[in-house]
Amino acid sequence: MPPTQPLLQWPAEGVTRAPYRVMSDPEIYRLEQERIFRGPVWHYLCLEAELPDPGSFRTTYIGETPLIVTRDKDGVIHAFVNRCAHKGALLCLEPCGRRQAFTCVYHAWTYDLTGALRSVAFQRGVNGKGGMPADFRLSDHNLERVRTVSFAGLVFGTFSEAAPPFEEYLGPAMVAQIRRVFHKPVAILGYYHQVMHNNWKLYMENSRDPYHATILHTFYATFKLNRLTMEGGITLEHGGWHSMNYSKGATMREGEYEGTGIRSVVEGVGLADPALLERRQEFADGITVAIQSIFPTCVHQQIYNTLALRQVVPLGVGRTELHWTVFGYQDDDADLRQMRLKQANLIGPAGFVSMEDGSVGEYVQRGIAGTGVDRGAVIEMGGSEIASSTASRATEATIRGFWSGYRSLMGF
Amino acid sequence: MDGELSLSAPALRRQVEDLHTRYIRSIDDDRIEEWPNLFTPECLYKIVTRENFERGLPLAIMECRSRGMLVDRVTGLRRINVYEPQRYSHQVSGLVIEPVDENTAACRSNYLVVRTTGDGAMTLFSAGVYVDKVVIRDGCALFAERIVVQDSRRVETLLAIPL
Repeated sequence: MPPTQPLLQWPAEGVTRAPYRVMSDPEIYRLEQERIFRGPVWHYLCLEAELPDPGSFRTTYIGETPLIVTRDKDGVIHAFVNRCAHKGALLCLEPCGRRQAFTCVYHAWTYDLTGALRSVAFQRGVNGKGGMPADFRLSDHNLERVRTVSFAGLVFGTFSEAAPPFEEYLGPAMVAQIRRVFHKPVAILGYYHQVMHNNWKLYMENSRDPYHATILHTFYATFKLNRLTMEGGITLEHGGWHSMNYSKGATMREGEYEGTGIRSVVEGVGLADPALLERRQEFADGITVAIQSIFPTCVHQQIYNTLALRQVVPLGVGRTELHWTVFGYQDDDADLRQMRLKQANLIGPAGFVSMEDGSVGEYVQRGIAGTGVDRGAVIEMGGSEIASSTASRATEATIRGFWSGYRSLMGF
Repeated sequence: MDGELSLSAPALRRQVEDLHTRYIRSIDDDRIEEWPNLFTPECLYKIVTRENFERGLPLAIMECRSRGMLVDRVTGLRRINVYEPQRYSHQVSGLVIEPVDENTAACRSNYLVVRTTGDGAMTLFSAGVYVDKVVIRDGCALFAERIVVQDSRRVETLLAIPL
């Protein structure tokens, strides 16, 4: 037998390089489903606010695997794979709703809100003929369960028994950021679903990247919503697996962008209707933009008064769907609610400050096609360290942190 | 009650169809600067998914609450936002017009947009319904409201040019 080759030899430079092959190799993609999506990590599933009553359910994903999350009649939250234990058909086709039970359309196998199989059509056959064997036990065929944890109104899940306790997995700074936003009951304002033609990790890199934000997204710097010359920083936890980058809009220094030739500030444009940028200071800490990335695929954003969770769902090695859940608070006054909806023009697939992210990953995916095995991205902004910083956001430490987590789970 | 602006049914239909045609031409012929002028100054233009619309969730993909906000979308397209060169081809059909009062009509039509990008890729980008409120002002039809209800909950890549 020939010696087995490792699937990938990571470059000697370490996390300052990411081989392009991890974005395009179907074998690596398959291994990710096992080692990351079924690995010892926690995945964002939904908000508790989406499961208001006993019998409420919502469908979601971990990696490619379809899931159902339910609230049972005692109010307990459960998650299980959305796949009938009989033939493997999708059990639930709706995104959300209320049910007493889930019955498969194919052969009417029926499960309760905890995922337990309760009945099988014609289990005893017809006229005493046919049917399941006498030793067939319903309890051997429950839906595949997912461990869940509910934290500050967010529901996370994992297939792995080895995932650490949730708050330990997040680390204190990530816990604090979730509590900062989820400090009172939220109200769902709506959803966006956006399909990007790139590997899921290109979006994860992008969402963590403070270096690109004010360059690619010209709207940010032009209208002084976010610039690297504002006070801000990056915060890392769990060895950089999770990250947050943030800025404080009121602290901007002029200069540095103007006259540099960077295509990030368009001179001489104004808004015909400046109401778009009306905003309210909601948080006492003065932070106006905060993008938190929880390893592997959850992004939690505050961009002025727009609050959202983004769940990254891979659809194949070169295709990814982004599920946005946009929310406000239940006690929003009418003005603040209108402000959030108007500011939603900044975000989502048509967002003034986010539309570019829908295509920039695809530019990379197309750019790396046909490259040799030894080529990869250069991630040296801010050196090679993976550390929090309050001094500068001109760094890619947040991205190196992602690759550190990725390598340790994948064994690369 | 009939004011002097009231139009006969065929005349109203001509006005509304003409407005629809000018709308399509402004976008598909890349004369997007003309697009805001097809709306009233205090207009509402929204693109929503059927998912949000039917569940009563107020979030829009794009929401302009004045002609100025339409102008700002044009500024974004022309000067600020970054996206691959692309063109739309609109197909609009099934127009129904119901007069509301002497100078307002509620309209509904189907739309289909094929998007073609620089590399030649053609995508069936969006299909859905236009739910409109058209007003006749100074003998000319304008959109007071255009709600674009997209059937799919998904947007492919990004939505830069209005639907």
